[in-house]
Amino acid sequence: MDRIFEIVGDLRKVGPEVFRVESPVPQPCVSVDPEHLRVELAPGAATHLVVLHTERNTSTLDVELGEGAQFEFTELFLGETFAEVRLSQGARSRCRMTVVELSAANASYRIDLNGADAENELGGVFLAMGHDHCVVKLHTAHNVPDCRSNSCIKGVAGDEAVGEFSGLVYVAPDAQRTDARQQSRNVLLSDTARIETMPQLEIYADDVKCSHGATVGQMDADAILYMRQRGLSETQARQLQIEGFVGDIVRRCGVEPLGEALLSLASERLGRQDKE
Amino acid sequence: MLSVKNLHATVEGKEILRGIDLEVKAGEVHAIMGPNGSGKSTLASVLAGNEKFTVTEGSVEFLGHELLTMSIEDRARLGLFLGFQYPVEIPGVTMANFMKLAVNEQRKYRGEEPLSAAEFLRLMKEKSAVVELSSKLTSRAVNEGFSGGEKKKNEIFQMAMLDPKLAILDETDSGLDIDALRIVATGVTKLHRSDNATVVITHYQRLLDYIVPDVVHVLYKGRIIYTGDKTLALKLEKEGYDWLINEYDK
Repeated sequence: MDRIFEIVGDLRKVGPEVFRVESPVPQPCVSVDPEHLRVELAPGAATHLVVLHTERNTSTLDVELGEGAQFEFTELFLGETFAEVRLSQGARSRCRMTVVELSAANASYRIDLNGADAENELGGVFLAMGHDHCVVKLHTAHNVPDCRSNSCIKGVAGDEAVGEFSGLVYVAPDAQRTDARQQSRNVLLSDTARIETMPQLEIYADDVKCSHGATVGQMDADAILYMRQRGLSETQARQLQIEGFVGDIVRRCGVEPLGEALLSLASERLGRQDKE
Repeated sequence: MLSVKNLHATVEGKEILRGIDLEVKAGEVHAIMGPNGSGKSTLASVLAGNEKFTVTEGSVEFLGHELLTMSIEDRARLGLFLGFQYPVEIPGVTMANFMKLAVNEQRKYRGEEPLSAAEFLRLMKEKSAVVELSSKLTSRAVNEGFSGGEKKKNEIFQMAMLDPKLAILDETDSGLDIDALRIVATGVTKLHRSDNATVVITHYQRLLDYIVPDVVHVLYKGRIIYTGDKTLALKLEKEGYDWLINEYDK
C-alpha cells in the first residue's frame, strides 16, 4: 500500500472543492479522500485524475465534460468508502474510467451522455475477500443520438465475501445509432463466496447496437495443476491466475507504475486468504 | 534416477495402474507405448502428482526421495517435468511472467539466487531457439490462441528453461504435422545429456525416428507387459500390439 501512496504522492494535488481544467495538455492529478469534489473540463480541455479512497466515509464527485474534452479517470478503493460519481459528457467528449475496489466499498456511477458523439469507456474490478461486501453500480444513459459506451466489470470473491454488480444501460427514445456494450465477468474462489450480477438494458430507440452479458465461474483447476507442475506453489498459481483475469483492466489505469503496484496489492490480499 | 515398484493407482474407484515396475537411469531415453486406455497418461499423471488419482499400492523413488509423499510443485522443483498432452491456456498471464516465477521458484528450492531480469531474458532467448519458438509467442499469454504445434513446442521450451532431471513427455507428438514433429523431437534430443533422462509416451513409431530410445516398454491393462530395445518400436509399428496382447490375455 505504501508504494501506491508513493506513486500518487508525486502527482499534483487538486483543491478541496472545485477542480477546473482549461488546458488541453493532460496532467496527472490526484485527490485523496475527497468528500465532495466538482470537476469541470472546459471545451477541449484534457486531464487525468486519480481519486484514492482510504477511509471509511462518503464521497461524491460531480464531473462535467465540455465539448471535445478528454478525461481519464481512475478511482481506487482501499477503504470502506461509499462513493457516488455523477458524470455528464458533452458532444465529442471522451472519457475513460478505471475503477479498482480492493476493499469493501460501495461505488455507484451515473453517466449521462448528453452531447452527440460522446464516448465513455469503463473498466472495473472488485476483489472481495474475508467478509467484504463490494458493490459496483452503473447507470449509463444515452440521452442523445450517436454516442458510444463500453463497460466491463470483473469481480472476484473469496472466503465468505459478497460481490454485487448492477448495471443499467438506458437508451432514450431519440438516441438513435447508439452503440452500447456492457459485460460482467466474475470468478468465485470459494464455496461460501457469493456474487450477484444484474446487467440490464432499457431501450426506447429502434436503430441501436446494444449488447450485454454476464458470467460467473470458478478458478480453472487444470491451469492451477499446470502451473504447479512447473514449480509454482498453489497460492502463487491462484494469484497468477487472478492477476491474469483482472490484469488487463488494472494495468491500463493510466499512471504507469500504479497498475503493477495495485496488482501486487491484490495478490497480497489473495495470498492472505490461504494463510488464514 | 527413477525407480517405480509395483505401482497401483485408481481414479474414481477404478483401478487403472495394476502394478507398474520401471527403472530409469541417468542418460537413458525410455519410450512407453501401448494401445489406447492402457494407462500411459495415468502413469505420467501419477508420477507428476495429479491429485485426481489415488495411489493404492507401491512406491516410487526419484533421486533418493520418496516421490509419492511430495506435492506436485516439490516434485517439479526436484527436477521432474511433465510435458502435458493438452497444455492449458492461462488467459492474461504472459509466458515471460510465468516462466520467471517458475524458474526462480525452482532455483529457490535448490538454494540458488533468483535470476536478474537481464539473466532471465538471456535465458529466454537462448532456450526459445532450441524449439524455434518465435519471441512473439513468449510475450503472449500462456498457450492462449497458440496452435496445436505451438503449444507442444511451448512445452519443450519450458522444459529447456527448467532443465529438469527427468522429463516425461505425454504424447507430445500427437496432433503435430511433420515439421513441428521434427522441431519438437530435435529439441528434446538437444536437451538430452548424460545426467538427465527422458520418458517419452507415444502412440507412434514416427517420433522415435528422431528420439532414439534405449528402452521401449509396452503398457497394457495397467501393466508393463513387454520391454525391449528400439527395434521393438519398429516391430510394433509393422505388426501392431495384437501379438503381445493375445499372448498376455491368454
